[in-house]
Amino acid sequence: MSDPTLDKLPGGFKGMSEDIGSDQTTFKGVNWGKAMMWIFLLSDTFVFSCFLVAYMKVRASVTEPWPYPSEVFGLEVFGVPVPLLLIAIMTFVLITSSGTMALAVKYGYEKNRKMCGLFVLLTAIGGLTFVGMQAFEWSKLIFHDGVRPWGNPFGAEQFGAFFFMITGFHGTHVSIGVIFLFIFARKVYRGDFDTGRRGYFTTMKSDYVAIEILGLYWHFVDLVWVFIFAFFYLW
Amino acid sequence: MWTGLVFLAVIIGSIAFHVWTPWWWTDIASNWGAMDDTIILTFWIGGGVFILVCLFMVYCIFKFNYKEGRKVEYKPEDKKLEVRLTWATALGVAALLAPGLLVWNQYIKVPENSIHVEVMAWQWGWKYRLPGEDGVLGTSSNKKINDDNPFGINEDDPNGKDDILIDSEELHIANNRPVKILLRSIDVLHNFYVPQFRAKMDAVPGMITYYWFEPNKIGEYEVLCAEYCGVGHYAMRGLVVVDNQEDYNKWLAKHETFSSFIAKRKKEGLINEKVVKINNILNTKKSIKSEKNVR
Amino acid sequence: MSDDLNIKKTSSIKTKSSSVSGGGTDIDYVRPAELPEQDLYHGHSFITKWIFCQDAKVIGIQYTLTAVFTGVVGLILSWMMRMQLGFPELFPFLTAESYYQMVTMHGMIMVVYLLTALFLGGFGNYLIPLMVGARDMVFPYVNMISFWMFFVAVVVLMASFFVPGGPTGSGWTLYPPQAILEGTPGSGYGILLMLISLSLFVIGFTMGGLNYVITILQARTRGMTLMRMPLTIWGIFTATVLALLAFPALLVSSIMMTLDKVLGTSFFMPTIIKAGEMLSYDGGSPILFQHLFWFFGHPEVYIVALPAFGIVSDLLSVHARKNIFGYRMMVWAIVGIGALSFFVWAHHMYVSGMNPWFGFFFASTTLIIAVPTALKVYNWILTLWRGNIRLTTVMLFCLGFIVTFVNGGITGIFLGNVIVDVPLSDTYFVIAHFHMVMGIAPLMVIFGAIYHWFPLITGRFLDETLGKWHFWVTFLGAYSIYFPMHYLGFIGVPRRYFEMYDSPYMTSAVGMNEFISVAAFIVGAAQFIFFYNLVKSIRLGKPAGKNPWKANSLEWLTPQVPPEHGNWGEKLPVVHRWAYDFNVPGAKKDYITQTTPPSEVIEAEVEKT
Ligand code: HEM
Ligand SMILES: [Cu+2]
Ligand SMILES: [Cu+2]
Repeated sequence: MSDPTLDKLPGGFKGMSEDIGSDQTTFKGVNWGKAMMWIFLLSDTFVFSCFLVAYMKVRASVTEPWPYPSEVFGLEVFGVPVPLLLIAIMTFVLITSSGTMALAVKYGYEKNRKMCGLFVLLTAIGGLTFVGMQAFEWSKLIFHDGVRPWGNPFGAEQFGAFFFMITGFHGTHVSIGVIFLFIFARKVYRGDFDTGRRGYFTTMKSDYVAIEILGLYWHFVDLVWVFIFAFFYLW
Repeated sequence: MWTGLVFLAVIIGSIAFHVWTPWWWTDIASNWGAMDDTIILTFWIGGGVFILVCLFMVYCIFKFNYKEGRKVEYKPEDKKLEVRLTWATALGVAALLAPGLLVWNQYIKVPENSIHVEVMAWQWGWKYRLPGEDGVLGTSSNKKINDDNPFGINEDDPNGKDDILIDSEELHIANNRPVKILLRSIDVLHNFYVPQFRAKMDAVPGMITYYWFEPNKIGEYEVLCAEYCGVGHYAMRGLVVVDNQEDYNKWLAKHETFSSFIAKRKKEGLINEKVVKINNILNTKKSIKSEKNVR
Repeated sequence: MSDDLNIKKTSSIKTKSSSVSGGGTDIDYVRPAELPEQDLYHGHSFITKWIFCQDAKVIGIQYTLTAVFTGVVGLILSWMMRMQLGFPELFPFLTAESYYQMVTMHGMIMVVYLLTALFLGGFGNYLIPLMVGARDMVFPYVNMISFWMFFVAVVVLMASFFVPGGPTGSGWTLYPPQAILEGTPGSGYGILLMLISLSLFVIGFTMGGLNYVITILQARTRGMTLMRMPLTIWGIFTATVLALLAFPALLVSSIMMTLDKVLGTSFFMPTIIKAGEMLSYDGGSPILFQHLFWFFGHPEVYIVALPAFGIVSDLLSVHARKNIFGYRMMVWAIVGIGALSFFVWAHHMYVSGMNPWFGFFFASTTLIIAVPTALKVYNWILTLWRGNIRLTTVMLFCLGFIVTFVNGGITGIFLGNVIVDVPLSDTYFVIAHFHMVMGIAPLMVIFGAIYHWFPLITGRFLDETLGKWHFWVTFLGAYSIYFPMHYLGFIGVPRRYFEMYDSPYMTSAVGMNEFISVAAFIVGAAQFIFFYNLVKSIRLGKPAGKNPWKANSLEWLTPQVPPEHGNWGEKLPVVHRWAYDFNVPGAKKDYITQTTPPSEVIEAEVEKT
């Protein structure tokens, strides 16, 4: 290294703590919005953890038998019951949308307005499909199987309560994400991030890093789904 | 000047109050003298720290009051002092914690020979159940509670037949014999607390909690509910009477067992119609379930 | 990954050495800016300047005023409760129902809507950008929404006084099953509004909290390293992180309880028999709620305490004209206490019926926290040692804080040591303990802080004479309320008792209760001296000028006093040292501000920068 100040910097743990503690920014070169999203996601992780821990606690202690998930969540295709079919498709759709999101971020870096917008839009559509299928699943459980938050024909009543609460909370996250994805698809297409056009509410300029921030959120929502999937459908 | 004096007066006043206070704990009537001892220990160590810290502060107020041009020490840190203070504090804390945990260990380990007493809390009052001849309480569940089975005793459990039911706020226990209090609640949280016995624990609906003590002074003691349970909380009192063995046996003999209770109900012809009523409630509750089960 | 696509200037770190000749030998050298100028929205109309304002300082004041308003409501409620406890015959309209509603609203208001909002929303917003040398919070718009969410939360909370059934009377802990069942006042609309209000509070707070954290982490001015930040910022920062991680538990438990109430789910509701009938609940766990609540509730205590720790450190240092003793230890203590506070929650549940083995673990962690806490106390009093103590009103409040905090801290060791908690839990000992440690002590800091920063906010001093009266009445009064109250707890008087005189051994406490009540009325009334002082001094107070306390930290060094939107005028300040260079040997003045470059004070023998 030719930079004389860098040579003088201490290494090891000391160096690390000095880097973190150095002036101006703790995470060097990290955009404010991105840092904020990370910390928000940390907080949100605690929300979902609380939900899931509560679920585990109650499921472990409840005396009535817990319904058998692969039976409850089964779907009949041409008269053949296929366990977990719908969920598998839903999960597939959501994971795919994570992929399209990643591509959107990539094209954002390249400032490729058209492709970036396209993939944001695709992601939004993926999310919308997921929410739609979730709505279908809910209505099947409610109207066809008679599962209610306060009781169900299969066993412990907390089953329905936790299922609707947690998937509902997650679904809300997805829906909010979808709304933002649509808004940002429009912004990208309109070229806001190239021209530095100011936001309608915040009056702030923005650029393609916004897509990456949105992507962080979207991947998080996907990740949470994996946990919900594991805890509800596979346990 | 007088600022320091007032702070000094506050410290001295606190000590004086502590020494001469007319308000102090009730005479202990159980084996938990160790709890009082740990409190006293904490008082000595904690009180000592409080006094030292405050006196140091008062001294500083007197000594280093503002003077133009006073020479002030500039010493951002003093590693040695800080390390010493850390260790001293850690030691003090350990000295408090260790005996505390030892006593807690006794508190949660119930002696084998203790008499089991079930305390059932409701809004707002107490009921009790004692084991009969067999010395064992029958299993129970709140789901089984109805007018014919006020404690929800499991009818299939032979241990429950001779259980003694006490539908009153007054409980008697025998002196100098360890008692294990088993707490149940049919509605909300409560807490069975007799200040003279020191011990307490919440009663939680849906589960059975416990604690134990050994009464060692004959007399009558008021039970206070110590966990907020709605508007009647402050009035939710009961009575524990510590008897000698003889009086205790007499008192025990006056109360009916579960089987004699049922027999009486049957004779009065009360039983059937109630059962129907309870079943109705159960049915509406599980209506969705049964609907599905038919399918 | 790099973020070059957003901020083009970030890459300047790499070029820093070339921008200064000699590559770091110059003693005044500070690394060049990493961040571009912040883009701010300047309001023009009255509405955008004062109501939907995006200036953190105005938002801070909005938070403060709203929080103080709720505090006054809480105070009035405490008066009425003390009325009932001291003189039960006097007000026949005080029923048990209304008493419990008052207890609940008082507790919740004081803890959440007054103290949390005031320390983080009020002081946080006002001080963070100023003290770290930023122009504003990083997301002013989100910050503005945060306040309005809080405002709506307060409106919803207050609305519960007017709904049928009144506000909830479930105790501030809101324990189910009781909280949502008949038999508890306000178990209909009251509890619902409370839960909704809390959820709104959490959402609003999260928006603000993200701002505070990112502003502190990513928007400091040049030269402001983490270890040069005033302890106020450390306290607020750690408390905010705690809040961001603890409030989720409150949100989740609120949602679950709302569902139990509205939809009839049974998360927290086991089989329950009321008035001979079995309710439709089954299989839920009341203790689960307690775990969730206290997972939030205990960090919440430190959310209130840590900013107070930080602020009081700064006030002590400035008014004792001496550096804070053991700054690094203070920082680590704050961070350590914050981290540990997530592992002690069940010390509120020793007698809740949870697995008794937890007692060992939680008693140990709780007493371990006592160590860093005690160190902080030592460092405060060691800061006074060989200082040059100005007995201003601010200093008096700090001293009052030390006494009440140490007192309450020590009774905390009683309650944390599991076996000692058995006889004392749920008695007046607990009430006395937490009022001392998280009621009075933080209030002392708040008052001290207001006397300290009022000249910055308004350009005028608060009246010192009135201030001293305010201090002495509040301090002595509050101490004489809560010190004797511990002894009620020893007798065994349970808390949350509407009336308590008919037990034989409790009758002895009648006199004490009357005394406590009178003291409470006086203390409450003394606060109106303070309000009068505030109102009077805004217009008539002695003009303060710039940096009236001769402090070092950045907030006093703005070109305008009171600081205007954007804080720093043309150029951001550059920081060369920590905020505690008071009475440095060899220096001409008894303080060296953070922006003073070393070359200007060559003669001073500075140890730490
Ligand atoms: C002079 C001021 C104050 C007075 C006279 C006062 C008085 C009271 C009284 C009489 C109770 C009810 C005790 C009971 O019946 O169990 C109470 C409860 C409480 N107070 Fe205060 N208080 C004051 C200030 C504060 C402050 C500043 C806080 C902030 C932390 C606070 C927090 C609480 C809490 C959390 C409760 C418990 C509520 C409950 O049991 O649900 N109080 N206070
Ligand atoms: Cu009670
Ligand atoms: Cu705690």
